Formats: sequence, structure tokens, C-alpha cells
Amino acid sequence: MAYPVLQVENLTMHYTTRKGAVKAVEDVSFSLEKGEALGLVGESGCGKTSVALTLLRLLPENAQFLGGHVYFFRDGSDEAHARRAVGKPVKVLLDGQEHQGRLVGVDRSQLVLDARLNGRTQQIKLARDGIARIGVDLTALSDEEMRPIRWKGISMIFQAAMNSLNPVYKVGDQIIEAIQTHMPMPIPEARERVAQLFQLVGLDRQLMDRYPHEYSGGMKQRAVIAMALACDPDIIIADEPTTALDVIVQDKILREMRQIQKKLNMSMIYISHDIAVIAEVADKVGVMYAGGLVEFGPAEAIFKNPIHPYTKALMSAFPSIKGEKVKLAALPGEPPDLIKPPSGCRFHPRCPYATEICEREVPKFIEHKPKQHAACWNPLT
Amino acid sequence: MKRIWQTLTSGMSKYIIMRLLQVILVLYLYMTLVFIILEAQPGDITDIYVGNPKITPEARDAIVKQLGLDKPIHERYFEYLKNFVTGHLGCSFKWGNISPTPDPVCREQRPTWDLIKERLPRTIVLFLTYTIVSFYIGFFLGKLIAWRRGAIIEYFSTVVGVTLFTVFTPWFALLLVWLFAVNLGVVPIGGFINPDSWTNIRQIGSVDCSVGISCSNIVFNQMLLWLGGLSLFWGIVYLWSRRFSYVWQRNVIRWGAVALGIVLAGLFFGGSWFGEVNRVVLARNTKFQFFVWYFEFPAGTIPLFPLALDFVQHMVLPILTLTLISFAGTMLLMRNTMLETMREDYVMAAKAKGLPDNVVRDKHAARNALLPVVTSLIFAIAFSVDGGVFTETIFSWPGMGQLLLLSALEQDYPVAIGSLVFTGIFALVAHVIADILYAFLDPRIRYD
Ligand SMILES: Nc1ncnc2c1ncn2[C@@H]1O[C@H](COP(=O)(O)OP(=O)(O)OP(=O)(O)O)[C@@H](O)[C@H]1O
Ligand code: SF4
Ligand SMILES: [Mg+2]
Repeated sequence: MAYPVLQVENLTMHYTTRKGAVKAVEDVSFSLEKGEALGLVGESGCGKTSVALTLLRLLPENAQFLGGHVYFFRDGSDEAHARRAVGKPVKVLLDGQEHQGRLVGVDRSQLVLDARLNGRTQQIKLARDGIARIGVDLTALSDEEMRPIRWKGISMIFQAAMNSLNPVYKVGDQIIEAIQTHMPMPIPEARERVAQLFQLVGLDRQLMDRYPHEYSGGMKQRAVIAMALACDPDIIIADEPTTALDVIVQDKILREMRQIQKKLNMSMIYISHDIAVIAEVADKVGVMYAGGLVEFGPAEAIFKNPIHPYTKALMSAFPSIKGEKVKLAALPGEPPDLIKPPSGCRFHPRCPYATEICEREVPKFIEHKPKQHAACWNPLT
Repeated sequence: MKRIWQTLTSGMSKYIIMRLLQVILVLYLYMTLVFIILEAQPGDITDIYVGNPKITPEARDAIVKQLGLDKPIHERYFEYLKNFVTGHLGCSFKWGNISPTPDPVCREQRPTWDLIKERLPRTIVLFLTYTIVSFYIGFFLGKLIAWRRGAIIEYFSTVVGVTLFTVFTPWFALLLVWLFAVNLGVVPIGGFINPDSWTNIRQIGSVDCSVGISCSNIVFNQMLLWLGGLSLFWGIVYLWSRRFSYVWQRNVIRWGAVALGIVLAGLFFGGSWFGEVNRVVLARNTKFQFFVWYFEFPAGTIPLFPLALDFVQHMVLPILTLTLISFAGTMLLMRNTMLETMREDYVMAAKAKGLPDNVVRDKHAARNALLPVVTSLIFAIAFSVDGGVFTETIFSWPGMGQLLLLSALEQDYPVAIGSLVFTGIFALVAHVIADILYAFLDPRIRYD
């Protein structure tokens, strides 16, 4: 049975700058299930990376988190996770039912929840076992509580993957460092683990004792992927994992990542501005425009029948013959300035289907077709 | 043979060898420069006798001949180089011989080399200690203020640091002397030793230092050797311990070495049964006399510790002064480079890996920010020579800087040339050591 590992609700985050607030993430909601690959796609600067960094709480100093919830789910039997969730807003999934509230206590057999039911706060008790899934709201955790979630719960392949290796340490040691932090083990074992990871991503094990500058671009990319896999994370966020590589290597690595993901039954979030990449790897697609999620749903459905005009525009730029890329021909204009985004639907100045209401009011993000959500006043059919 | 060649031409060894070759070249150029500067001066060194009625022109010519000043310039140049290579630095014009028997070459005058041998270690100790202390303080504060922007410590240390950095050095040094030595009386005003502590010392270990040899020099050199030896030993143990896979193994080895070093040094400077052991060894074999002069364990009679403490007390004020006026440079540079590395992707990646905050700060951000700071330190070494002359003069620390100034003022040419060249050698060697250290810090250098 599929179950969620991550539920993101109404995430909003702005960057403070001298010119004003950059509204980089505006009311973004989506969910990710176990073993599923979600593709986040959108033009450069639409806030994809910002969403990822908000999830992991790795924002720069000038970022302002303005609201939303990020529920990160683990088995009810995970002791550390349950303890961490005490006193925090949680969602508990049990027997196909969702309970929401504040976790007030856990013991060996049950979870005690302060939940709001019918407008009143009530205490409910839930059985605690492997079936119960506790989703803790990451936005409510302290930095210290967040640490074990990082890399062990959610790891990330950064956009500039090449630069996420520290030049002064051997690559293997940088991976061992992550392993030692989250699952302490003797160094020989950790080294063996790194060797296996290297094998998995197609790197020679000798390379673990080399420095980053001795690697080629593709090798660094693979090493970074190995590093993201190091602690068996529940979720990997891959932010433009292959943009710095040439097309052939890019294709190869993408296919391998997809294979590894299927093999380990991991959940992944792929981020790319290139809808061809997303088409290749994703089970579900989220389309972002100017800080907001404009369409979200199963990849197949979206590629067959996009609802949002922006999605359609992106797809028309998606070459039918693979390999060749066409510029966004159907889309005139530039992506908007996020400091002063257009009123109403942020896409309206560029939208061929825009009507009068689009300029005035923000369209609601709702389910137009089964499982296919979009924010548009004039959905395509 | 082939393997030796391979090791020598690969990576680190190649780097070090290339550096050493460069240094030899630079040294040669430097010595030539010193020669040219001296030659370019009007007249010759016998001009000082012009006003002296006792020295007739004939006598002056004799001196010129004796000193070889009548030879053509290229011959003198080669003579000058040859003398340095063979270690003949000439005799001081001003300093008298201190040993009871006349010197074989200089007779009643003191050989230049003797002066340099005595003073160079003092300068090395002062210089090394202050460099390490001020660098570490600057590094540490710079790291902290970059990591917590806007904290009170940032304003405080920036204001204090910049003020001290820009203040007029001699004035500030005198201020400190006035405060700590004159008013508070916690440290000596200046100098190298307190003669009162040394009046009754006539023998260090088996070396009789009542005449001809300075007791304080023996103790001082032993202290220096121990410091150097221990640092080397700890450094090697530290690197070697990294071969072990378990953290506890590494820690046991490292702390074991630290404890061993401290105990050995304690026993040595405390004076103890080591003296006995040493006497027995010496009784069997006196061939090690020279060796013993430096390494000998003192013969149980006088503990060296209070004597060593005498130097330390005299070093406090100069080191404090030098540190206070110079740490800000390192601090501000460290702060800036740290702010830059903190924006690097690998720092973000380290955070994302869930590493504790201080590990991200020290192991990833600060470790990389260190590199440009060390580079600037390497460049600063050459400029610290003039600071050395200032400080040694103000605190009457009898080191190379003071010797350089004194001999130049007194027109003691052999000593002036010798100290000039050796100050240069010292700065060069320090430069190379820092350079090699840098190559160890930055793996990207080693392989180019
Ligand atoms: N630290 C910051 N301060 C201010 N503005 C920022 C900051 N980081 C990003 N932005 C702005 O926020 C917006 C979203 O940036 P983000 O990096 O999330 O976009 P993206 O979709 O990942 O783009 P790309 O495909 O180029 O990586 C951009 O307009 C960007 O200029
Ligand atoms: S809401 Fe209007 S402007 Fe926005 S995408 Fe839909 S049709 Fe276009
Ligand atoms: Mg991005």
C-alpha cells in the first residue's frame, strides 16, 4: 500500500532584500509517497531550489519563513522519531485514517494526541505499532532536533553538486563523515560502505582516497549521488542533478539514478527546469511558476492532458524528438519579478487564455481531475 | 634507485625540492644584493680611521691590504661568497672575546659566527612564539565573529583590534612597559635574563660555564631544542595516528604522546635521576661531548625549571606587545575569508549532512578560510624583520634584530654583514616552512 513520506502544506517563504521582499515560495502544497519520484519543474528563478531549502530548513540568513507545514513521516515503531515528535504538531496515519493534532505523549503501546475535533480540543489515544505512521511537522523542530532528519531522513544533491565537495578533504572521508554522524560504526565498516556506494554509482573504489580536484565533472556528480545515498535516507532531493554535464553523461546518470531509486524503493524529488528530464524520471509532476505551484498530479495524466496553460506552454517546448531543445516558443515575455509579482494569477500577463478575473483574483489550487490539481480560472480540458 | 627517483619527483617531495632549490637561488641573489649595497657606499670601511691621529696613512694602507680591500671587486665578491660557504664570517670590530683563551683566528676579538650562534635562537623563539600566538588568536576570533555576525564580540574585537593595529608600535610598547613592568611590576622591564638568578650557576650538567661559556645560553638552547623536538614529535605522532581506524585508538596514541612529552620535559627541567643515567653514559664514552652539550640530561644538582622560567618571564611583555598589535590583521582577514567560505556550497552541504554546528564551522568553513590567511602570513614574514628590530631594541632583547641595529650604528661591518645575511636566511627559511605547511593544508597545491 502506498503511504506518504512527506506532506507539504501551504509553504510560504520570502527573501528580504533591499529592494523589497522576494516572494520566492508562495502557498506551495504537495505530497510525496514512498518509492515515488516527484518532478518539480519550472523556469529558472521560479523558486524550485527555495522550496527544497525550506523543507530542509537550510535557508540563508535573509530568508523569512512565513508559514506552512512540512510533515515528515516515519514508522510508528521508530523510537527516536516518536520522541522527537512529542510536543510538536503531528499527523498520524492509522488504518487509512488521518489524525491531526499535537502529540502530547508516547509510550510503548500508544500515542496520545491533542486533536481538534468538531471545534473542540480532545485527547485521543492511538495504537502505536509499525502500521501507525507519525508525521512530525519539521517547521516546528529546533535546529538541534532537525539535525538527525537531515541526510538520514532527507538528503540532497545540490544544484551545484560539483561544489558541494569540500576541496581539502578526500571524497571518501566526506561521505564517511556523514555516515559517522548518523549511524556510528567503526571506520573499516564505514569505508566498506562507501566502497559499496561507489560501486552502486559506478565509481572505482580506489577513488575514495582521492581529492575532489582529481575527479572529473561526471565523477564528482556520481560521488555526490553516493554521498546522498550514504545514510539510506527516506527522501532524496536532487536539485538539477545533471545540468553541469554533457548530454550523454547526463542521460546515463539520470537513468542510473532512476534505477537505484527503484531498486532501493526510495522517494525522490527531482528538480529541473528541463521538462524532458522530468518526463524521463518522474512518477508525479509539480509545475512551478513564479513562486507558486500551478499544477500537480500524476506524470502520465499531466503529460497527456495538462490543465494549466503554463504546463501546456512548457510541454510545447518539450521536443517530440528527444535530444533537440526548442525555446519556449509559445510563451512570450519574461518570468515576472518576484518582488512585485502580477496581481491575481501570476501568469496572466503571459497567458493566452487569460480573462478578466485572472488579473483580479488568485485562482484556488484545486483538484480539477482525479488527483490532478491546478490553480487556474480557465482550466484546459 | 628508480624508486627513490620516483618518490623524489612525485607530489609533495617534488614540491618541497623545487621550493628548496628556489630558496637557494633567492639566497644567492640576496647575498649579492647585500654585497652590492655595501660596495655602493662611498669610501671604504677604513674611513672611520680618518679622524684618528694615531693611524697614519701608511697604517691605514696596511689595514686596507690586510682586509683585502685593495683587490679588484670581482675577487672580493668571490671571497665574500666563499667565506659564507666555508663559515668564515670574520671577527667583530667591537665585541671582545669572552673565552679565557684567545680565539685561534680572531684572538682578542669575538668571531661573528659566535655572536650569531648565540643570538639567532633567541630571535627564533620570540618570533615563533609570537607568530603562533597572534595567528591563533586572530584565527579564532575571526572565525567566531564571522560565524555570529552582529554579536557583541564582533564590535568589541573589531574596534579593539583595529585600534591596536593602527597604533604607533614603539609608543604602544612603551605604554605596556610602563603599565605592566613599571606600575604593576608583574614582569621585568626588559632584557633576556635576571642576572641575580644566575650568579651562582657555574655548571649546567657536566658543562662548566663559569668562564667562556654563557650558562644562560646552554639552558636557553636546551629549552629551544625541547620545544622544537616536542613539537616535531607530537606532529609526527599526530599524523601517524591517523592510520588507525578507531577514534579511541587515535586519542590514546595522541594523548599518550602528549603525556610522554610532558613527563620527559618535566623530568629534564626538574632535574632528577636522569642526571645519574647521563653521568654513567658519559663516563663510558666521552665522544658524545658535543652532543651532550645540547641534549644532556642535567646532573641532578640544579633543576633547570626556575632558570627556564626566567626566560619565559622576560618573553611575556615582548610577545604580548607583538601579539596585541598584530592579531587584528589576521582576525579581520580571517573574518572576511570566513564570510566568503560560509557561502560556499560545501558548507551548505555540510550543514545538510546534519553535522553539528561547530563541526560545520571548524572543519568545513574555517578550514578553508584558513588557506588565504596562511598565504598572507607567508607574505608577512618578510616584513616582520623590521618589527623584530623595533621590538628587540625596545625590550632590550639581545637577539638578531638588536645585533643588526647595534652593529650598523657602530659600524661593526663583519657583524653587520653577518647579521644581515642571517636575518635574511632566517626569514627565507621561515617562508619556506610556511610554504610547505601550506602545501600540506591545501591538497590542490601538492599535485600541480
Ligand atoms: N538568498 C536570496 N536572497 C534574495 N533572493 C533570492 C535568494 N535566493 C534566491 N533568490 C531569488 O528567489 C527566486 C527563486 O530562486 P530559486 O533559486 O529558488 O529558483 P530556482 O527555481 O531554483 O531557479 P534555478 O533554476 O535558476 O535554480 C529567484 O528570483 C532568486 O533570484
Ligand atoms: S488563471 Fe487565467 S491567467 Fe492564470 S493560467 Fe489560468 S487562464 Fe491563464
Ligand atoms: Mg535552483
